[in-house]
Amino acid sequence: MSGRFGGWAACGLGVLLTAQPLNRLAAQHVIVGPQIAFGDYREVSSDLHYRGAGGGLKATLEWKKLSADFVVSKVKYKPTSTGTATAEFDASEIEVRLRYYITGPVSGELGFINRKADPEFEAQSVGAITAGAQMAYLLGPGVRMALRGGLLFGAKYSGGGTTSALGALQLGLGVTVDALRGRVRVTGDYGFQRFSRKTDDGSGALPAPIQQSLGRVGFAIVF
Amino acid sequence: MHRSTPSIPWLVALALALPLVAQAQTIQNATLRRAQQAFDNLDYRQVLTVAHASLRERLTGFERARAYELLGFTYAGMDSILKAVDAFKQVVLIEPERDLDPNRTSPKALSAFQVALTQILVVRQLRVDSVNFIGGQGAVGIRYTVTQPSRVVTRVTGGSGTSGSMRIDSTVANGQVNLRWPARLPSGDPVPAGNYNVVVEATVGQNSFSTSQPIRITHGVVDTVAHLTSLPGYTYLPETEVPPKSWRPMGLALVYSGIALAGTSALSRGELGSASMREGGLIGGGIVVAGFIMTLKKPAPQPARGNILYNSLLREQIARRNTEIAQENTRRRQQVALSVVPLPRVGGGR
Repeated sequence: MSGRFGGWAACGLGVLLTAQPLNRLAAQHVIVGPQIAFGDYREVSSDLHYRGAGGGLKATLEWKKLSADFVVSKVKYKPTSTGTATAEFDASEIEVRLRYYITGPVSGELGFINRKADPEFEAQSVGAITAGAQMAYLLGPGVRMALRGGLLFGAKYSGGGTTSALGALQLGLGVTVDALRGRVRVTGDYGFQRFSRKTDDGSGALPAPIQQSLGRVGFAIVF
Repeated sequence: MHRSTPSIPWLVALALALPLVAQAQTIQNATLRRAQQAFDNLDYRQVLTVAHASLRERLTGFERARAYELLGFTYAGMDSILKAVDAFKQVVLIEPERDLDPNRTSPKALSAFQVALTQILVVRQLRVDSVNFIGGQGAVGIRYTVTQPSRVVTRVTGGSGTSGSMRIDSTVANGQVNLRWPARLPSGDPVPAGNYNVVVEATVGQNSFSTSQPIRITHGVVDTVAHLTSLPGYTYLPETEVPPKSWRPMGLALVYSGIALAGTSALSRGELGSASMREGGLIGGGIVVAGFIMTLKKPAPQPARGNILYNSLLREQIARRNTEIAQENTRRRQQVALSVVPLPRVGGGR
């Protein structure tokens, strides 16, 4: 299942890039940079509680009213001392967001998310289509902040289970600060996901929610 | 028949006036000088005898006119008006431009002179105004006086573009006539530069008289209008303005961060326990700090829509005016500035 979303990501990226004529590539902005990621992961109950840190990469492509974020991160989650979990795992996440400016501060977003857990059985791998909106505001010269919110549709889990149409949501908060006359941007992103997953082993539906808070701080170079 | 004696004051006035009139040219003929002397001595019989004698001698045009003038004044002083009129007619025929000074001439002599003018056909006081104008937008003023009702034809001769002669007016007139000549050829083009003669011919029955005034026409370039870089009284306004400091960045940073954290808290209730605020708190705190700094910083200049619109209108207005000026200059470059100057006359009319 996760392989399917990975294929979509590669496909979407390829289509987006090849759809642009070469003469227009010069007019668009490409912002790429590494990030430090740190997160909090919970599954099923408060006993399965992990915290961890890792690294990531974020690329943003801006062209006229369109923009796209490509975010990859890998966080090594370790069980907290208060929980019952014993094994750590790596969460590799790919997130793609296509954004179209609508009006004022509002843009519409469409994308997908794919998170893979390694070892596979220590946590749920998950993939979903994302749809939502972003409100962006220029705080001052070179300082922008954005608030995102949306739904996660069609979520698929490696361990099975289902989520209702409105049962998976995400929130996000981001800030970028221009430095070195706009050639470099300091970036900070926060993302929260909540999957109200339910499983049924024959004895009836049981709640098995998944929740992740992920913060990323880094910098990016503007081309 | 009673013959009135000339009054002494008028004779004195005449005697005082005549030397002044004769100052312009000197009299060479001795007989005429004797006549002048006799007139100065108020010896009218002697004046008549000697003046008539001088007319039988060889005299210049001026001297001949002077001799008849002495006879005219003398006959007027002796109340022989008809003879005075005849004498003055001869004066005018010889020198049509001759005039008497009303302040220094007796009324009898003046009236005799005026009667003489009405009895002969002459064109006098032909004047052409000195004028500058753009070809097709002005005219040359021409004035003359014709002494009898007659057919008067005004022509311009000479130059290179008039084919010898160009009629500019034909009318039946008496007294002063004012004309306006646009200085254009029949084709509408300006008269070429050069020296011309304005000829006025008056005809009544078998009598005719003509006089002329030489003029010089020169061509010049019409000045063009300079393009505008600004409109008087209107200046460009700055297209950006620095807004006043406000707490809006800080407020928005708090609102956005608050929504994100409150949303996280609201969504994470349930089996998984309270949410972790570490990640959101760190990013949200960074945004609040950035908002606070932006609140303290001088705001970035913002586009002033009103001023931009005003400047745009001003630029459009100047561009429109410059387009009109360019069209006007194109027209002006095809125009000719005419300068008409009257030249000194060589001779009188005939």
